Amino acid sequence: MAQPLVKKDDDRDDEADYSPFLGIEKGAVLQEARVFNDPQLDARRCSQVITKLLYLLNQGETFTKIEATEVFFAVTKLFQSRDIGLRRMVYLMIKELSPSADEVIIVTSSLMKDMNSKTDMYRANAIRVLCRITDGTLLTQIERYLKQAIVDKNPVVASAALVSGIHLLQTNPEIVKRWSNEVQEAVQSRAALVQFHALALLHQIRQNDRLAVSKLVTSLTKGTVRSPLAQCLLIRYTSQVIRESAGNTQTGDRPFYDYLEGCLRHKAEMVIFEAARAITELNGVTNRELTPAITVLQLFLSSSKPVLRFAAVRTLNKVAMTHPMAVTNCNIDMESLISDQNRSIATLAITTLLKTGNESSVDHLMKQITNFMSDIADEFKIVVVEAIRSLCLKFPLKYRALMNFLSNILREEGGFEYKKAIVDSIVILIRDIPDAKESGLLHLCEFIEDCEFTYLSTQILHFLGIEGPKTSDPSKYIRYIYNRVHLENATVRASAVSTLAKFGAMVDSLKPRIFVLLRRCLFDSDDEVRDRATLYLNTLGGDGSVVETDKDVKEFLFGSLDVPLVNLETSLKHYEPSEEPFDINSVPREIKSQPLAEKKAPGKKPTGLAAPPSGPVSTVDAYEKLLSSIPEFASFGKLFKSSAPVELTEAETEYAVNVVKHIFDSHIVFQYNCTNTIPEQLLENVTVIVDAAEAEEFSEVASKPLRSLPYDTPGQTFVAFEKPGGVPAVGKFSNILRFIVKEVDPSTGEAEEDGVEDEYQLEDLEVVAADYVLKVPVSNFRNAWESMGPDCERVDEYGLGPRENLAEAVNAVINLLGLQPCEGTEVVPSNSRSHACLLSGVYIGNVKVLVRLSFGIDSSKEVAMKLAVRSEDETVSDAIHEIVASG
Amino acid sequence: MILAVLFANAEGNILIERFHGVPAEERLHWRSFLIKLGADNLKGVKNEELLVACHKSVYIVYTVLGDVAIYVVGKDEYDELALSEVIFVITSAVKDVCGKPPTERLFLDKYGRICLCLDEIVWKGYLENTEKDRIKRLIRLKPPTEF
Repeated sequence: MAQPLVKKDDDRDDEADYSPFLGIEKGAVLQEARVFNDPQLDARRCSQVITKLLYLLNQGETFTKIEATEVFFAVTKLFQSRDIGLRRMVYLMIKELSPSADEVIIVTSSLMKDMNSKTDMYRANAIRVLCRITDGTLLTQIERYLKQAIVDKNPVVASAALVSGIHLLQTNPEIVKRWSNEVQEAVQSRAALVQFHALALLHQIRQNDRLAVSKLVTSLTKGTVRSPLAQCLLIRYTSQVIRESAGNTQTGDRPFYDYLEGCLRHKAEMVIFEAARAITELNGVTNRELTPAITVLQLFLSSSKPVLRFAAVRTLNKVAMTHPMAVTNCNIDMESLISDQNRSIATLAITTLLKTGNESSVDHLMKQITNFMSDIADEFKIVVVEAIRSLCLKFPLKYRALMNFLSNILREEGGFEYKKAIVDSIVILIRDIPDAKESGLLHLCEFIEDCEFTYLSTQILHFLGIEGPKTSDPSKYIRYIYNRVHLENATVRASAVSTLAKFGAMVDSLKPRIFVLLRRCLFDSDDEVRDRATLYLNTLGGDGSVVETDKDVKEFLFGSLDVPLVNLETSLKHYEPSEEPFDINSVPREIKSQPLAEKKAPGKKPTGLAAPPSGPVSTVDAYEKLLSSIPEFASFGKLFKSSAPVELTEAETEYAVNVVKHIFDSHIVFQYNCTNTIPEQLLENVTVIVDAAEAEEFSEVASKPLRSLPYDTPGQTFVAFEKPGGVPAVGKFSNILRFIVKEVDPSTGEAEEDGVEDEYQLEDLEVVAADYVLKVPVSNFRNAWESMGPDCERVDEYGLGPRENLAEAVNAVINLLGLQPCEGTEVVPSNSRSHACLLSGVYIGNVKVLVRLSFGIDSSKEVAMKLAVRSEDETVSDAIHEIVASG
Repeated sequence: MILAVLFANAEGNILIERFHGVPAEERLHWRSFLIKLGADNLKGVKNEELLVACHKSVYIVYTVLGDVAIYVVGKDEYDELALSEVIFVITSAVKDVCGKPPTERLFLDKYGRICLCLDEIVWKGYLENTEKDRIKRLIRLKPPTEF
């Protein structure tokens, strides 16, 4: 019994000890390749040498031009051998060597001979090699043979020619397009693979001809397609045709839907899945259309094959974004996937569940996720954290459970990115859900007690300094902050000192105690920490007197530097230490490059701490800072709202201009962000001439030109208007960009002395009612609604006329009003006949507004809407109705 | 497009790699990305049990066969299902050539054959042949039997 076991072990040792390629070396193998030149070829030995050459190439070894040429010429000699195995190796070797155009000629005659050989396999391989190494001129010579090969009765030859055609189409499209008759014939082939390859080629040949593709699909969907692979292709082409013909049908039935649905009953899983996915991706897919596809995907969820499970859950995850209700049936199967060994599958299942979950299932779900989180990698955890964040914003009432979850995972092990994602989420929740603030801040405090990331600690300390003093009991945070002064590195200690000072400035009752703490920091070992402590003690009046903090001091502590940081940095770098102190007023205030980021990431919500101080406030802050630095606008008061940038030029024009509307109580400022995209031009004295003929209530009061606008460096020019105070005046403005253009020598970058005045027409700009409304969410709409009371309530009904569907009507009203949708009510389940939508916000003059919308749609697609508005001021309630009535 | 087919041994050394339409400067990234993926996940996985991942719009299906890890990367029409088809063809061809799930030594012994199989299966990023018996004949330049 023992004998064979020992023997096996011996074998194993041998295998492990010795690799056939052990010590292989390029030089030696090239020497060996000389056997190719022997008059008496040893086929076996030649094959071995080729194998070694292949191994070298696969290991990333490269041959010099001379070496490659030498090997190539030697290999061509092997065509003399009749040995079949060797010939096969030769074909492969030639392809691997990919000889240059002047060398190809050596083998073409041999290959052409093989291409017409009686041996089918020679033909197939020769075609593949020739097509790999050929160029246009040679191709015309062999075209005739290739066309014949496409319809060859041997499927290997036909496939070789067809696949070659697919590749050649990239380089020589006009030649391959001439083969479409043959290819069409091959589509009807009885051999499955030939059909697959032919269909792919035929579609590529005709892809730009919609009608032809549509005909192809129509004929094939009626006939039989043998290969499942070809069937998958056909499904894809079919969905392309459906997409392109959208809206053309009168009857409302979707063309080819029956075909797709039929494919759901195919015997190959590949085809079933492809059809299911195609259905889920149909534009405006209805629930009735979705159901059969979801059913098969649900079956795949419990498949034994991980690939099928992955594919199904990935597709359902996508469906959940648009049709969460349709996926809820799969929730039970999805829940069992949470424990799937493949973590990609588990994460997709979790995030899908988070999307489809309703308010009541949140707790149950969180319990399951907790177990799951411990055994997945950070990158998956981040995905889950983000999903939980959006779930929490959707169901603000559930913040307690979700916030607890976040704080628990914050305490567990994890890398920086993961921790940052959690902290960002908590910060966003604190910002958007006022009730969550206190518990959120405490979670963050606990986190910094044991946080290994300096960056996160300092960011949290900064955030605490801003939010902490505004809470009901600010004193409870002091302990956490002061602990940092004892336990952390100098960077964190310094931020802790700043945070302490902020508490001192804002909370008078805490001041004496803060002074004690700050004084202790005067003995810190680090310069920066001591300097900060000294500075704050002096500015806050640390001489022991408890006085109310000056406005100036608060401004110093909380306000931001009113100079751009980049400019400050440059100025500081240029400052040479001398008797004369650095003067912050010497720092230029002009912003060189306007935050391009906001343009680059449209619609992307700024997240958490990363953009200091936090969230959307940061853009508003940046704007506020920018505007207050311009003396002409300083008297306008507090900025109420800044709109998102509106493009005034088409993409890729000479000058790219967008505008941001800044709304003040009785003024409005247009900030034109201009970019010059012509390297040969320098623009100077750039202004926008605004015609307010169609905006009667507005009168221009100031205009601030842009001194110079070099190539690719964005700059801003401003125009300010006066308008009646507190009134939502609307109107239309036409804009012309006026400037002096100077030629720039591209080689030196210098501009010419003289310039020419020029103008450039921009698109019109409108100020609409929604510009006077701020999106401000409320955490609990019902409470807010009840506490607002019916005193200033206004209710009315409106007919919105015929609409495509309810979702479109709801969206239109939300956009018209510019209010924040609450509790996820902006999502309209497809095909629903009625819908209620809740909105909240702040109207100009700082008046809170709550809106309840009830929609209904009848069989003729007429939409009716009931609008109920509550606010703190009945004129505002009326104004909201006015917006709808005039919209 | 099948972007890459990669064979590696248990230590993560590359045995065979084929890239299609991947710029040379990105190959190193892919190589190390795949090897890391395998090192993280392939431990204890049964022969031919498929694992799947996606990275941006690119899909990856991978498995082990004997001592060898096999990775297939694709995009567009070569999604996870199509790739599982591709990897199935590859594993069955390799098993066929080696007679069993190969040790590294056995794999290297049959290196030339395996390269030929791969040549029949994937042609410049497209799936060409799918049946192991047919591939077995084709690499010997014998016509397929079914015809």
